[in-house]
Parts: sequence; structure tokens; C-alpha cells
Amino acid sequence: MEKIPLVTVEGVCLTYHEPTAETKAIDHLSFHIGRGEFVSIVGPSGCGKTSILSMLAGLMAPSEGSIRIRSTKRPGYMLQHDHLLDWRTIEGNIMLALEVKHIATEENCAYALRLLDTYGLSEFRYHYPRQLSGGMRQKVALIRTLAASPELLLLDEPFSALDYQTRLRIADEIHTILRAEGKTAVLVTHDIAEAISMSDRVLVFSNRPATLKTEHRILLSCNDATPLERRNSPEFKDYFDMIWKELDSYET
Amino acid sequence: MKHKPNHDISKEHAAYLKSIRKREVFISAMRYLILLALIGLWEVFAATGILDPFIFSSPSRIVSTLVRLYSNGELFGHIGITLFETVVGFLLGTTLGTLVAIILWWSKTLCRIFDPYLVVLNALPKIALGPILIVWFGAGVESIIVMALLISLVVTVMSVLAGFQEITGEKQLLMRTLGASKLQIFSMVVFPASLPTIMSALKISVGMSWVGVIVGEYLVSEAGLGYLIVYGGQVFKLDLVMTSIVVLCVLAALMYYAVAFLEKKLTLRRSHA
Ligand SMILES: Nc1ncnc2c1ncn2[C@@H]1O[C@H](COP(=O)(O)OP(=O)(O)OP(=O)(O)O)[C@@H](O)[C@H]1O
Ligand SMILES: [Mg+2]
Repeated sequence: MEKIPLVTVEGVCLTYHEPTAETKAIDHLSFHIGRGEFVSIVGPSGCGKTSILSMLAGLMAPSEGSIRIRSTKRPGYMLQHDHLLDWRTIEGNIMLALEVKHIATEENCAYALRLLDTYGLSEFRYHYPRQLSGGMRQKVALIRTLAASPELLLLDEPFSALDYQTRLRIADEIHTILRAEGKTAVLVTHDIAEAISMSDRVLVFSNRPATLKTEHRILLSCNDATPLERRNSPEFKDYFDMIWKELDSYET
Repeated sequence: MKHKPNHDISKEHAAYLKSIRKREVFISAMRYLILLALIGLWEVFAATGILDPFIFSSPSRIVSTLVRLYSNGELFGHIGITLFETVVGFLLGTTLGTLVAIILWWSKTLCRIFDPYLVVLNALPKIALGPILIVWFGAGVESIIVMALLISLVVTVMSVLAGFQEITGEKQLLMRTLGASKLQIFSMVVFPASLPTIMSALKISVGMSWVGVIVGEYLVSEAGLGYLIVYGGQVFKLDLVMTSIVVLCVLAALMYYAVAFLEKKLTLRRSHA
């Protein structure tokens, strides 16, 4: 993991220009992410978390600094809402990325369908999105993202539209899926417990303009367990209090 | 979503279904009843002289006019011409209108440049352009079609463009994260998502094409239902006027239902469970 990192962010600044104002969203931000790592980003609201994900996804260029991703594949992006297309079946939805990139080969389609099968959604293959619950829809959105086999996954508060119960369960399932498929993931969340339970490392951002305030390597006595079990480990609360205090100092 | 027929429904549910059916029957019965009553009263008033049939015509006179027009072979000639003008004007107007809407969606700059022109064109009563069209396109079918086209074009552009612009930015963002080109974003998300809006725009546009054609025929008057109406009015043959209007009603309704049927077909396929 400490070898060549998959993602290197170096001295990145970002300024938004609008007719009425100029907003500095990110200020000299640097970090790396190793292959196979699960990293969470927490920070005060409006500090620039979505902005850094957009740059990692290649949707915007930084105003200053550089971002390097050592992968031939485009990163996969998951948003807060699943944005499944209502007029396509579940199968049609998970093939979207393949169709867009003109790589809907037999092999790739079979892979997407296998994912659907492995993660217990194959019976909904010919259903339409509105026939699925919120949690199932978010899982379909994940499979849609995984279908193009990205190495890096960017998750922008993907669970925040779900109710608490579903949220815990889906976080568990998605974490298991990402581990099983050997993916590298960056998760943006407002939920400190979610960040600690899911990640190898938590990055804490400052108020806008975002800089990297601190980073915590999460070492729990049951490190390989699922997020739900990790919440019960004795060290969990210490990490929680530490990050809570750091974030709390911004809210005033 | 269609549910499988459920055989063991509860008593309350059965009563509920029955009340719905009852109301449906009542509504369609009332519709026919009102129509029959109107026709019947009209006929009776005309026959007893309460209404002067020379000015108000009557259902029986309309029927005999229809029969006369049919037997001397004029009826379908006039219907054909009007129908042809309307369909061509409608198809051209909506295709061109949709194309213009696509271009304006594509380029925000173009959209902003042309915005005031669209607003003025929309506000302008297109009928005012009639004399100009006659000078430019001649006193014939061409002018009439252009009139129908103009009227449906502007409506289509405005409503279809509004439909495109309604599609949320986040769905487009998602497509961009997948690496989609603008053409793919349009054809895979924006267009299918705004299909319902486009279909309801078509329904408005059908009506607009009829307005354009009838006004055009009023101005140019060679043949067609609009011509029959104007001619009938001029020579005081109110039977002819009323007959043409009845035929027009039927045709306009048929065309509207054809578009509505198309709409239902399309929306049914995408929401088919
Ligand atoms: N397209 C834009 N144009 C102008 N300003 C923007 C734009 N997008 C974001 N901003 C501003 O940049 C700052 C950072 O926004 P960003 O969405 O990255 O924050 P965030 O940390 O994701 O917030 P949240 O916690 O609410 O999701 C905010 O102050 C926001 O107002
Ligand atoms: Mg955000």
C-alpha cells in the first residue's frame, strides 16, 4: 500500500468564479491514496468536499496544483441520489456505462450481470427502478458504477438519502462488495461513525477553503470485520471523540 | 403498474370498485345524453319555428347537406385538402420546432441570443402575417401550410425547450462522470426524460395547426373546410357553414385522439411493469 499511490493530489487550489463573487473552495490541498485503500473525507459543510471529488472524477480542473491518478480507467462516481433512469430496466441501467463507452461486449455485460447476481438482485433484472426500495436502488447504482470496472470509486454521501436502518445495512453491503472486488474508494460523508467504521484512513478537512487538517489511520482490534462489527470495537469511541472535537472546533 | 387480478378481495374493496364503475357509467351516460339533448332540442326548435332554420340551420338540414356534398363528390375533396394542409403543417412545424429546440438546448449562448426574438414571435399574432405570406408564397396551399407551420412552430419550440431545460443537472452530471458526450447525454437522458413534455406539446401543436389552416383558408379561399365556411357565410348558406363546422369538430377530435393515443403508447411502454 505504501508503494506507488493510486491517487496523488498535490498543492491543489480551486476557485469558483461567478459574476457576483469569487469563492476560494480549496487551498493547497495534498494527500495520496494507496491502491486498495478505503479513505473517508469528513469536514464542515460547504468546505469543498464535493469539489475535490469532482476534480478527482475529472469533471473540473484544479486552478492550481496537480492531480494524478495512475489508472487507465475513469473513476466511478456515486452520488447521493441513485439517478437510475426510470424508463430503463435494472439491466438497462447497469449497462449504461458500458453503452456510453461503447464497450458493451459480451464479456463486460456478463460481468455486470454476474455482479447483479452475486449481490442478490438478479431477480429484479427486468424490473423498473420504481419497483425497488431506496436501499436496493442504491445497490443498483453501485453495480452500474462497478460495471465499467473502475479501479477508483468516488462516493459522495451515497447513503444520506436512506433511512438509518437501511443506511447501516447498505453501508455494510457496499463495503463488503468494494472489498471483494478489490476497489480503492474515497467516501465523503457527514457521519463520523460511518467514516470510522468503513475506512482505513479518515481525512479531516478544515473550513472553506478546504485544507487537510488532520488524518487518522484507523486501527481497530477487529480491523477486517464488517463496518457494523467495527462499530463495537473498544477503540471506536476514541476515534469518534477525537474527530468530533476537531470538527466541533469549526462549527463555532 | 397493473396488479394481477385478485380474487379474494375484501367486501369494502368490492364496494369501492363498484362505486368507481358506477361513476364511470354515469359520466359517459351524461356525455351522450347532453349531446342527444342538444341535437334533439335544436331540431325541435328549428321545426317549430322558435329558431329560424335559415339562420340557425338544424340537425336534419346538416345531415341532408352532408349527403348532398357526399353524393356530388365534393365532401372528401374539401376534407382531403384541409386534412392534408393540417397534417403537413403540423408535421413540419413540430419537427422543425423540435430541431430548433434541440439546437437552443445545445448552445446556451444561442439560446440567450435568440431569447428576445422567440418572445416577440410568441407574442405576435401570427395571423397578422397572412397578407405577407400570400404575397410571398402565392394565394394557394403553400401559404396555408406556412401559416399552420408558423403557428405550431413557435409553440413547439417554446414548450419542448422548456421540457429539455427541466431535466435536472444531476442526471447530466452522472452521465458526464460516465464519460458521456453531449450527444449521448441528449439522446440517452435529456430526450427520453422529456418525452412526456414533448408529447403534451404535440397535443397543443395539433390544435394550433388547425387554427393556422382554417385562418389560411379564410384568407386564400380556394377549397377546403375553411373555404366552405367563408363561402357559406358570404352567400348566407348557414347549412353549409354548420355542416363544415361539424365535420371540422370531428376531424380535429380524431387528430387529437390520434396524438393522445400515440402518447399513451409511448408512455405505456416505458412504464410497463
Ligand atoms: N459551481 C459552483 N459555482 C460557485 N461556487 C460553488 C460551486 N460549487 C460549489 N461552490 C461553492 O464552493 C464551496 C464548496 O462547495 P462543495 O460543494 O465542494 O462543498 P461540500 O463540502 O461538498 O459541501 P456539503 O457538505 O454541503 O456537501 C461552497 O461554498 C459552495 O458554495
Ligand atoms: Mg457535497
